Amino acid sequence: MASSETQPRFGQSVKGLLSDKVTSCSGDVIALTRQVLKGSRSQELLSQAARNMVIQEDAILHSEDSLRKMSIITTHLQYQQEAIQKNVEHSKNLQDQLKHLMKQ
Amino acid sequence: MAATGDESAVMDSICKAPAPPTDLQLTAEPEPEHEHEQEHRRDDATENPKAKRPSTNNDGGVETAEEATEPAEPDINELCRDMFDKMSVFLQGELTATCEDYKLLENMNKLTSLKYMEMKDISINISRNLQDLNQKYASLQPYLDQINQIEEQVTALEQAAYKLDTYSKKLEAKFKKLEKR
Repeated sequence: MASSETQPRFGQSVKGLLSDKVTSCSGDVIALTRQVLKGSRSQELLSQAARNMVIQEDAILHSEDSLRKMSIITTHLQYQQEAIQKNVEHSKNLQDQLKHLMKQ
Repeated sequence: MAATGDESAVMDSICKAPAPPTDLQLTAEPEPEHEHEQEHRRDDATENPKAKRPSTNNDGGVETAEEATEPAEPDINELCRDMFDKMSVFLQGELTATCEDYKLLENMNKLTSLKYMEMKDISINISRNLQDLNQKYASLQPYLDQINQIEEQVTALEQAAYKLDTYSKKLEAKFKKLEKR
């Protein structure tokens, strides 16, 4: 088949046939490359992965926001605990006075 | 009848197949097919800068002609190199698209991992602070028990005060009654 194609046809020069052959070969290489890329499905899988990552980003930001709020609440709890600690030290005197009053 | 006879003779001469080639005939009178083969060999093998002019040979009433060829371009090598360079650039571009997708995903994953590391640090701080708070609240428990006792004592004191108030009111009423008498 190839030999019959390379034989000079009526009305065509060898140079024309050569250029046609080169064009067809380059087209075949391009088609092969595209088929290899298409068959690997890398484009689909990678775009799907990127899409999923974008969907997850919202949840990640929300989680980060919640964690920061939790850290602020923890700091407030620490302040409150320090205030309680300071005020609770007076309760002993109070109790002594109350005992004294109750005895009387 | 004579005309038809002449016409038949002419037709016969035209339709007659050529005689089989002999050695003498090959060397002296090359056939048109052989000439074409020789021309193709010359075209494939060498690049004739000069254009071959179509020539005609009259050989016993049969005309033969040679194929007209274009002169070979002097920069065919440059053109071939250019073609292959552009092909390689195109193929590299086709493959670079997938590489760029991978790089994008890699960058996204790196940023997400950094985000998660920050969140991990925050959560570690929170857990440490909450553990300290739990310990401090545990140390406050006796004071809270004292506060409960104080509350009970205050309630008992309040009840005693109410009783005293009631008793004093009763006492006042009795005193007033006795005073009226």
